[in-house]
Amino acid sequence: MLELHRLTKHFGGVRAVDGVDLIVNPGEVLGLIGPNGSGKSTTVNLICGLFPLTSGLIMFKGEDISALPPHERVTRGIARTFQNIRLFGQLTVWQNLWVAQNSAEQRRQNPVRRWFGGGGSAREDIGRTLEFFDLAHKRDELAGNLAFGEQRRLEFARAFAAKPVLLLLDEPAAGMNAEEIDQLDARIRTLRDTGMAILLIEHHVELVMSVADRIAVLNFGQKIAEGSPAEVQNNPLVREAYLGTATAA
Amino acid sequence: MAARRHCNRVYVPDSGFVVDYLDLIDAVQSVADGVLFGATYALLGIGFTLIFGVMHKINLSFAAASIGAAYVSLLILAGFKAPAILVFLTAALAGGVIGALVYLVGFKFIPLANPLATLMSTVGLLLLIDEIIVHSTDGVPLNYPALFSDVIIPAGPFNIRGDLVFVFVLGCVCMAVLLTLLYRTKLGLATRAVSQQPVASQLCGISITRVNLLTFVITGMVGGIAGAMTGAAIGMLSPLLSLPLTVKGLIVTVIGGLGSIPGAIIAGLVVGGLENFFQFFRGVTERDLYIMLLLFAFLVFKPGGLFATSAGRD
Repeated sequence: MLELHRLTKHFGGVRAVDGVDLIVNPGEVLGLIGPNGSGKSTTVNLICGLFPLTSGLIMFKGEDISALPPHERVTRGIARTFQNIRLFGQLTVWQNLWVAQNSAEQRRQNPVRRWFGGGGSAREDIGRTLEFFDLAHKRDELAGNLAFGEQRRLEFARAFAAKPVLLLLDEPAAGMNAEEIDQLDARIRTLRDTGMAILLIEHHVELVMSVADRIAVLNFGQKIAEGSPAEVQNNPLVREAYLGTATAA
Repeated sequence: MAARRHCNRVYVPDSGFVVDYLDLIDAVQSVADGVLFGATYALLGIGFTLIFGVMHKINLSFAAASIGAAYVSLLILAGFKAPAILVFLTAALAGGVIGALVYLVGFKFIPLANPLATLMSTVGLLLLIDEIIVHSTDGVPLNYPALFSDVIIPAGPFNIRGDLVFVFVLGCVCMAVLLTLLYRTKLGLATRAVSQQPVASQLCGISITRVNLLTFVITGMVGGIAGAMTGAAIGMLSPLLSLPLTVKGLIVTVIGGLGSIPGAIIAGLVVGGLENFFQFFRGVTERDLYIMLLLFAFLVFKPGGLFATSAGRD
């Protein structure tokens, strides 16, 4: 579904991402981990098109999307959440989801009805999304007034509202308590079972180990390991990246 | 009658003035006229505020473009005697087209990261539009058709001018349509989403360029109507109008609170009313001085304006 070929991004002299190859398949959760500053967030930003690539190639559903602007990538089926919550705070929960409905299928509507109508055709879809993310009772609240955990759920729901086939989750568990992380875990599994491809960046090791089918590890912008959770856990390079080498210490 | 007038002196609390009854009627009449005309300022303020809302940039050419749109409607319809309502519609359409051009010339290819770049490009456009107007009309003021200018509605001791009522009602209709658009349609929500979270809205599939362009077209249409309203209320168009209207629009925007639409509406009506109030008591030469003082007072004591918008960005 998503293939990164020698993905590279330099900021001045800093090699934030340096020749990363990565494949995400449909119906699979790929965990992307690494120490702080290893290039995880930059990778996600490159996939969704926030900055231009220095070099490399991003293939999505067999097409090169490296030069597409971000909103067109969303239309093709890539959606994401943010590490620091970026909801539309002055819009209600329901409106946040309505505005985000921009998939190719949703765009096929008559533009006059789509942009000037009251959102009637979207109602059912949004209702189901709200149920799934347990936000139905908050539908008319301003997003800015929600509690932190609810805002995180709304971020997830908003990314889901565009009916993506590839979902990029940037630290979705940050700041969540154990119960909320369990619910998040269950939701990620449900979505994966519908055939969605999910790229999960996460510091919460337990969650990644539990939910990811494969894990890739970045350090200094390069991929240093890839494999099943068990393989990665026992990889000496990974231990070194996280704990430092014995000689350096 | 004379005796009655004599014994009807009215004490105005707080001011210490004793004002003659008829003077008071005239003053109220004048302020009311100003409030009605203030609808024009409100629309201009909304135009400045909307563009500031989505782009966080000031479009200084907005009032000039509005007058330009009113001129276009005159030039197009000068040939045959069109009804005034058609003139207004043409002004709105012309305003939309000019708005799109202003966006393409003054914003699209200008680096937005530099706050001065678009400010200078819009100053350039302001002067350009003014020059085009001056050259195409030889700088001669043109008569503008007014609707209901011969209608005077008596209301007790006051007379309400039909043309001003028309301008006011039209302004209110525009504001109602605009608010519905912004708060009830997906297009409006997308516009507000871009103003609150530009990055996230892109990643929700919203094209920022398209939203910006649409905002310019819509504010341009509002501006065109405001330009036509100005022309209709004072009965003529002159290239000398654009600079004072720019200043009034900006004052309204600042007093209302940058980015606040209700603020722009209220401030527009207040400035319109106060303008005539000061004109009545201090004369036309001093009028703008007091409006500037009011702006000064706001900048010092309430720089956020009446409705300071809490920035939705992080």
